[in-house]
This record gives sequence, C-alpha cells and structure tokens, in this order.
Amino acid sequence: MEMIVSFILAIVSYMLIDNVVLSRFYGICSFIGVGNKVKSAFSMGLAVTFVIMMATLVCYPLYFYVLVPAGIPFLDTLVYILVIASLVQIVGLFIKKYSPALYKSLGIYLPLITTNCAVLGVVQTNSDASLDFLTSLANGLGTSIGFLIVIVLFACMRERINGYNIPKAMKGVPIALITAALMALAFMGFGGMVG
Amino acid sequence: MTSTGYLILAIGIIAALIVIFVVSFVLYMRTPAPKGCEKLGIGPKNCEECDVKGCMIYKSHHKEEE
Repeated sequence: MEMIVSFILAIVSYMLIDNVVLSRFYGICSFIGVGNKVKSAFSMGLAVTFVIMMATLVCYPLYFYVLVPAGIPFLDTLVYILVIASLVQIVGLFIKKYSPALYKSLGIYLPLITTNCAVLGVVQTNSDASLDFLTSLANGLGTSIGFLIVIVLFACMRERINGYNIPKAMKGVPIALITAALMALAFMGFGGMVG
Repeated sequence: MTSTGYLILAIGIIAALIVIFVVSFVLYMRTPAPKGCEKLGIGPKNCEECDVKGCMIYKSHHKEEE
C-alpha cells in the first residue's frame, strides 16, 4: 500500500511541482510552436507521452543491465538518442500512414519530438539519479502527463488571447512568452504540496 | 556473464538500434505523404503568428511572392 501511495505521490510531484516545461524549461520548442491550437497541442502531448513512456521502458534496462555491467555508462546519451529517434520515426511512420489529419496538424513538429529535450531529460534523470524502475516509471508518466496538461492549458489560453485586442508589439510570441511566465508562477503554487 | 560478454552485447544492441533507425527512416521517407500534406513547412500561415519582419524566413518567403 505504501509503495502505491509513494508511486502516486511521485507522479503528482513530477506532473505539477517539478513540471518539465515550467520549472526545468524542457520542450519549450514544441510548447511554443504547437501550443496555439488545442487539437494539435493535445495530439502533440499524446505523441510525446507515448515516446516518453516507451523511451523510459526501453532505456532503463539498457542502462542498468547492459551499459553499466559492460563498463560503458558514458555512452548513455548516444544510446538514448538512438532509442528516441527510432521511436519517433516509428510513431511518425504510423501517423503518416494511418492518420493524415494528425499528420497535418502536427506538421513540421512531428520530427521535432526527437529533439524534444523533455524526452531525453526524463531518461537522463532516471540514470543520473539511479532511480529504481518504479520511480523511473513515475517520472516518465508524471512528466508526460505534466507536459500534456501544460501544453493543452497553454493552447486554450492562446486561443482566447487571439480573440482579444492586444498591442501590435505584443502579438504572437511575446504574449505567448508572458502567458508561459504567468503559468510558471501559477504552477509554483503547487510547491510543497508533496512532502 | 563476463564484462567482455556485456561489452559485446552492448555493441550488438547499439548496432541493432542504428539498423532500426535507418530502416524506419527509409520506410518513413518512402511512405507517401497524405493528400494535402505534401508540402508541410514554414509558410505564410506560420508567419501570421509572429510579427518579426526582419526574420530570414519572413524575408525569403516575401521574396518568393514578389
């Protein structure tokens, strides 16, 4: 029971308190790029969630059961990038073949999941901090759900902001960055929620 | 398993990952893009979001229009 509680608390912690976008500034590229329409933001969030979870599941055993016993843990980044890039190619292939609407809405940002540092950040944190498998899973799940929540909320706000009469100099990216900063301040309120 | 065994296994896995990446990349490039998505890239629609007129992409796009 205690293990389940700590697993859930870890997910909440990675999702809200240590939010990958707002506190560590990972994945800002897709956050700003795709976060202007709710539908594409949601699709991007789901795609990133899938890639983070798969990368966590594949990279954890590769690091702890192959690279460390072989005495080459310094090759971790190379292996992680290969795993992430392959996963993104496979996801992209399926989306291109079976979901044209999703392919169109993600557009040029689909291959950018490979360079989304949120994905690499999660697997790198797992190995650097020598987290156990369950905590690594919680890290992956919490981070990806946190990314999904933040990008969808951000897209909702940007869709509403587009309807308002704002100064010309603030249109587009400037107002988006101010919105992101205010969101980061709001998420700071979750600090200390999990002891 | 000995350290050498693990090293061989690690090299094999890295080689397999490279093969998987290359194969999936080739398959991705060979798969035809769905209708209407043949030319996805930075265009005038994306430029509407941003007001930076001095940007290289904005300039190149407007040169093409002229």
